[in-house]
Amino acid sequence: MAYRVVIVGGGAAGMQTALELKSRGIEPVIVERDIELGGKVRGWHKLFPTFVPASDVLFPLAQRVKAARVRCFYGQEVTDIASDGVTLRSGERIPADAVVMATGFTLFDAHRKQEYGYGLYDNVITSVDLERMMNGGGVTLADGTKPQRIAILHCVGSRDEKVGQRHCSKVCCITGVKQAIELREMFPDADIFNFYMDIRMFGPGYEELYREAQEKYNIHFVRGRISEAAETIDKRIQIKAEDTLTGRPLRMTIDMLVLLVGMSANYENEGIAQRAGLELAPNGYFKTVDNFLGAVSSNRRGIFYAGAVTGAKSLADTLAEASLTASAVDDYLKEVFNK
Amino acid sequence: MTFFAPFTIPFIAGALFMFAAIFLKWLWWTVKLPKVDRRLILHNFFTRNTLVAVWEVVRESLLHIRIFRVNPLLGYMHMSLAFGWFLLIVVGWIETSVYLGWEMIPIQGHIFFKYFTQVNNIDAHSALLENLMDGLLLLVLSGVALAWFKRMASRAMGMRRATKHALYDRIALSALWFVFPARLVAESLTAAIYGGGGFLTGSLGSWLGGVVPTEMLALIYEPSWWFYSSVLGLFFVALPFSRYMHIFTEIPLIFLRRWQLRPTLERKSYDNFEVEACSRCGICIDPCQLQADLGIHDTQSVYYLRDRRYNMLSLKVANNCLMCGRCEAVCPVGINLTTLRINSRAMRRNIPHEGRYGYLTNIDRSSGVGKVGYFAGCMTSLLPAVQRSMMQIFNAVGEDVWYADKDGGVCCGRPLMLSGETDAARKMVAYNTDLFRRYEITTLVTSCPICLRSFRDNYRLDGIEVLHHSEYIERLITEGRLRVAAGAEVYSYHDPCELGRGLKIYDSPRRVIEAVGTLREAEHNRRDALCCGGSLANTVIDDGKQQRIARRMTAELEATGCDTIVTSCPLCQKSIARTATRPTLDIAEVIAQRIVS
Repeated sequence: MAYRVVIVGGGAAGMQTALELKSRGIEPVIVERDIELGGKVRGWHKLFPTFVPASDVLFPLAQRVKAARVRCFYGQEVTDIASDGVTLRSGERIPADAVVMATGFTLFDAHRKQEYGYGLYDNVITSVDLERMMNGGGVTLADGTKPQRIAILHCVGSRDEKVGQRHCSKVCCITGVKQAIELREMFPDADIFNFYMDIRMFGPGYEELYREAQEKYNIHFVRGRISEAAETIDKRIQIKAEDTLTGRPLRMTIDMLVLLVGMSANYENEGIAQRAGLELAPNGYFKTVDNFLGAVSSNRRGIFYAGAVTGAKSLADTLAEASLTASAVDDYLKEVFNK
Repeated sequence: MTFFAPFTIPFIAGALFMFAAIFLKWLWWTVKLPKVDRRLILHNFFTRNTLVAVWEVVRESLLHIRIFRVNPLLGYMHMSLAFGWFLLIVVGWIETSVYLGWEMIPIQGHIFFKYFTQVNNIDAHSALLENLMDGLLLLVLSGVALAWFKRMASRAMGMRRATKHALYDRIALSALWFVFPARLVAESLTAAIYGGGGFLTGSLGSWLGGVVPTEMLALIYEPSWWFYSSVLGLFFVALPFSRYMHIFTEIPLIFLRRWQLRPTLERKSYDNFEVEACSRCGICIDPCQLQADLGIHDTQSVYYLRDRRYNMLSLKVANNCLMCGRCEAVCPVGINLTTLRINSRAMRRNIPHEGRYGYLTNIDRSSGVGKVGYFAGCMTSLLPAVQRSMMQIFNAVGEDVWYADKDGGVCCGRPLMLSGETDAARKMVAYNTDLFRRYEITTLVTSCPICLRSFRDNYRLDGIEVLHHSEYIERLITEGRLRVAAGAEVYSYHDPCELGRGLKIYDSPRRVIEAVGTLREAEHNRRDALCCGGSLANTVIDDGKQQRIARRMTAELEATGCDTIVTSCPLCQKSIARTATRPTLDIAEVIAQRIVS
């Protein structure tokens, strides 16, 4: 009989882990809170830095999971985990030989930075809203007209002590560059600004895309965070910032403000960790044994991590890590049960 | 008659030293008082205030009524020591006078009366007086016993944590603990040998006479009086330099305070009276959230005052305070703890760089025309929904409003004051005062309690009525200018420190909330309300620690089962919102949602 591993979360990390486990002859079971697989990548338009449609990654993954006949529970939330199984909110218990936490992250709630006016002003949107617009009817202002001046603000809910988010969310910088280029293609005549603290282009092809955005797509990069936004009578947005390269305060009226929202740890992590005896990092993400050889292992044997549940990660990193998790789970099962 | 014996020398020397030291201290502090303060004393000396002060001295320096309110047992302990000792001296003096007539007897004659009655063959055995004196001694001894008990089990006395004393205080404290047991032993031995004594010393004496051989009694008789005199002398010598200086500092402090002297943002001689009036009772420790939530044990007011008094105050201790005022609210001596702390923060160079404030000249970003001015404040600018709600309210009642800082303004100055930069703060005060005067407003509404506190306490805005938006909204509703619809919503309200304990505004926001829904009080409310932890006044603790403070406070608000948390300070709202699981609104937002047009 095959060993059974419960994977909590059916996003990119969960699906990839399931497929890798299956190919190793282990039986994966996915428990997904939503009514379908896909996680946060669902609803995303195109992926950085190559502008590959998100669906080109997501659909093949979901297809393979289906073809592999992986057992999936939908609309079920896991409230407690242990190395020998998980408990659902309904009280039902799914026994297992090992458990993988692949519950990802929660998007930072932009309402918490009320000074930017999200939810108050019609034309302040988040990066996620922008992806949805691009996937759907197209990008317009609230009154249906085309934006002429657009500002993209980096680090909303990242590297911000005031909202208890000290960490860098890693993916927003390159997302800002990607979205600026996409906006440029939609609005060739618009002024597009990126307001940033510093630009972190760590991945392959990122730095090149950043240069291209400036040289080829004429996107302006202003070093300085926006301090406040206010709505004018004609529903435009007045922003205040400091251009820290010239050392001068700056005021500007724009049509649309896009907030690049960061990644927060899931609210539920704290309770789950406490009850299961798992360690959390100070920012609320699950803490791995170490950053090197134990990067997917928890402090409890038999419980493993995959993807952004342990910290902000790009989709590419998440997929790579999920394979590593499957390999670690395989090693663990062999060690514990095959002696 | 002789009233001298060698054993009285330690006592006499100690007493002379103590009175000289106290007198010099009082003299020095008074001479150094600034002119304004000396004028206040002269001005108020022959007024009713002086009589009120006398009564307060009786209530607080002797009876300790305020400590009784904290905990009856704790109050009894302080009362028995202070009032009991005082009565022992007074009744002792009456006792000697009864037997010897109203003539001049040296002070040691009164204190060691039992000894000198034997030396001088005075027949002093009035059962009434002896029992009365024994009764008083028992009263004081019960206080000493409680003090010992408190060291071991402070919780039983209503204090989770008692003060950790410096070595120097421990010497004085130990001497004081021995004074009354030593007196009991000396007087009982006297009774054992010579007879007499009241129900306490008499009974103990006859028991001792029965068990201890006569030669032994004679051998320890003289040393017992030496010991009593020595511990008294030691205590007196230590007193002016230890916490017991509070006994003789609280009395002038009560008078000075009744004569309207107050500490200010600058240090001055008057502060000495406040600082040394602290008895280090430690009642301020328990309410401190830095202690309760973060386990910080070196910065509470009792330690801050101690460090300041002995010139070992570090900037870290001075700065590690939320200035929430919870300690000030319970201080039985009524010391102005927050103002003192602010003025000791000005230890750094307090001269603002001129170029830094160049922007203050020729800027005016105000807009609108009206007799009512609205000052949102920097923190409200970070919560545009509050500002927007205020505008909706102004529009609903048709108020003509001049907006002082809608498009960016100058800080009220309080954050600078709180960090000790008083000179820089003064520049802001001057700028804003001039701005308000120029537009000839008659009412100034602000939605930030921090700004409100500085407008009321540090600005001179005669002719301009300064209102918090909760007071303004309350007035609009009471006068019938603003109509609001009541709903089924359940709210809980957080009292901001600056608004509540700082300015005593507790009722206005509650009446406003009750006009639109049901209000449920958190466990700590009004004067006892917890601080949100987001205070601008603390520059030591980091953001994570601020959130830990906020979390407990938010949990109490949520425990009321409310639908929505309401506060009336933008800074509190920010602190609560990031730890709450329920919506957090400003009082203006709550009202704006419920306007009936």
